Amino acid sequence: MALLEIRNLHASVEGAEILKGIDLSIEAGRVHAIMGPNGSGKSTLAKVLAGDERYQVTGGEILYRGKNLLDLAPEERARDGVFLGFQYPVEIPGVSNTYFLKAALNAIRKYRGESELDAMEFLQLIRERAKAVKLDESLLQRPVNEGFSGGEKKRNEIFQLAVLEPMMAILDETDSGLDIDALKTVADGVNAMRDAERAFLVITHYQRLLNYIVPDEVHVLVNGRIVKSGGKELAEELERSGYALFEEAAA
Amino acid sequence: MEALAETKSVYLREHEALPSDRPAWLEALHRRGIEDFEAVGFPNRRQEAWRKTDLSQITDAHYRAVSKPGAVGAELSNSVGATGPGYRLVFVDGRLDRSLSDLEDLPAGLTVASLAEYGADAPERLTGVLGRLADTAANPFAALNTAFFRDGAFVHVARGAAIERPVVLVHVATAREEPHAIYPRTVVQVEEGAEVKLVERFIGADEVPALIAPVTELHAAQGAIVSYYRLQEEGSATRHLGVVHARAERDASVRMHSMSAGGRLARVDIHADIADEGAEVLLDGLYLTAGRQFSDHHTWVNHRTPHGTSRQNFRGVLQGRSETVFDGLVKVFKDAQKTDAQQQNRNLVLDRMALAHSNPRLEIYADDVKCAHGSTVGELEEDALFYLRSRGIAPDEARGLLTMAFASEVLEGIRVAEVRDHMMRVLLRYLPGDTAIEELE
Repeated sequence: MALLEIRNLHASVEGAEILKGIDLSIEAGRVHAIMGPNGSGKSTLAKVLAGDERYQVTGGEILYRGKNLLDLAPEERARDGVFLGFQYPVEIPGVSNTYFLKAALNAIRKYRGESELDAMEFLQLIRERAKAVKLDESLLQRPVNEGFSGGEKKRNEIFQLAVLEPMMAILDETDSGLDIDALKTVADGVNAMRDAERAFLVITHYQRLLNYIVPDEVHVLVNGRIVKSGGKELAEELERSGYALFEEAAA
Repeated sequence: MEALAETKSVYLREHEALPSDRPAWLEALHRRGIEDFEAVGFPNRRQEAWRKTDLSQITDAHYRAVSKPGAVGAELSNSVGATGPGYRLVFVDGRLDRSLSDLEDLPAGLTVASLAEYGADAPERLTGVLGRLADTAANPFAALNTAFFRDGAFVHVARGAAIERPVVLVHVATAREEPHAIYPRTVVQVEEGAEVKLVERFIGADEVPALIAPVTELHAAQGAIVSYYRLQEEGSATRHLGVVHARAERDASVRMHSMSAGGRLARVDIHADIADEGAEVLLDGLYLTAGRQFSDHHTWVNHRTPHGTSRQNFRGVLQGRSETVFDGLVKVFKDAQKTDAQQQNRNLVLDRMALAHSNPRLEIYADDVKCAHGSTVGELEEDALFYLRSRGIAPDEARGLLTMAFASEVLEGIRVAEVRDHMMRVLLRYLPGDTAIEELE
């Protein structure tokens, strides 16, 4: 059975329907990419999967590890292994990155029936993972994302991914605003975490990221529907032809 | 108007019944207090400064001054040391309690004494400053305090003395059934170039239907550095109407932190005078309200002379159906050129029915000054809440964490670690939900 199974998903924001029937099945260990033009519903899909209550699901269902994902609150999804790398990571003044991650990791460990890490173990873990994603250690003590550059914010998302070790990681335009070096670092962080258990859903506008995170499957999302699915060569095709062809087909 | 006249007369009658064996200096102050109170009476809501403060809870009853201190329960007596070590005076229902106080190893240059102990021969260095700043004609609660206080604290720091440990004044209100009044009084004189940290804390039993009307006067002479931490943590039935006056002489620095967390109604009027060149006044405040609490900070910062600096940073967190007021006036007098004044008030409203009023004001009569003010009233950021939840953090804890972050920012400037830790504990107890936040690293 698939790790994540999306069936005929409809969702709207403030009354406007954005997702108009999405079907998507992701097996454990696989990397799927969703590509699409602006406004196609990519970010809405990401937010719906993470449980943002500002997006209303108006039809369909989502099964995650056999459970109805839509029944779960955002924090329950996170504890059960769903992770969203935000397109726009939120700044949280006054809360240090370290404290934030400790609260998150302990909530997740508690749910899994594991003991909380002590201060030393925790520090060791985050230092090691920060190094792995080349996150400047000085950022650990700073308030979450506050005053971080665009690249640092995205790196911080991948750092959180590395610490929290989710089963189903959704990366929403993690490549936007990154220069090529930062992009490679982010991709290396993701690739290092690929294994037989974990799945990724990589959402992107550009094919560029997929040169570094090579997907198993690529889906083209246009106007709230997946209009084409294929292998990694589909991304290259899109890079050449653009979305116009698909937009016409979807219209 | 008849009701008002009647309200006046009960306090006047109470004053007339005061014992005749009071020292002359105290009697003179008492007389001034009651005369000024009689002249103006309780304010009504047509007066701008009292527009948002509902005093009917106070004017509807006669709060008679406590004549004999009550017994202090275990919980309160255990709490007197909560802000850490220091030279400590504890007043119970307005009177010194020796057994709870601790003045051991008072260093040279520091005087900490009970006013009641001076009797007829109070020194000029006390009588010369006591009542000098409190404006009994303008504030009726300053007038009532001046009319009825029987004891209080005198803190004197001699020229050049730097006092390391804080002076801690604790005012305890004991459990009583009848409405009653307590008039804590504090006067502090910090001489030239001296430095002192002062904690003044108000605690009390929950069921006390008391009017607590403290007056604190702080004199900072040339180059003196005074840190003043005012912690209002009284029981849930208390009406607290406090007044603080500070005066900073040439190059002096007065740094105040006010925390208001207790009481049914709590208002403090903080007056700070920049009285000579180069002086600075820093006012930080944090108010935490829930249920039907009302909390009110009025600040009055007067820049009378050039090259003065003032900084105000007040934050409020509101839950339930509580209501808060921040009203701050910065007045820059004509000669106060090169004044640098800033005033900030931010409010976090956690429940829909809570109401925060924010009214920062500038009155500027000089033309070469740098003044800024700002105010916000808002809720927790949805984006931030969702971000925290999407990482596995429970909604209550996420709310607690964000509230903590918002509120603790004003505690950063506190220079006594134990005082800051204590305020942090008060904040933690206040936070919504059963948050498991232990520390904010």
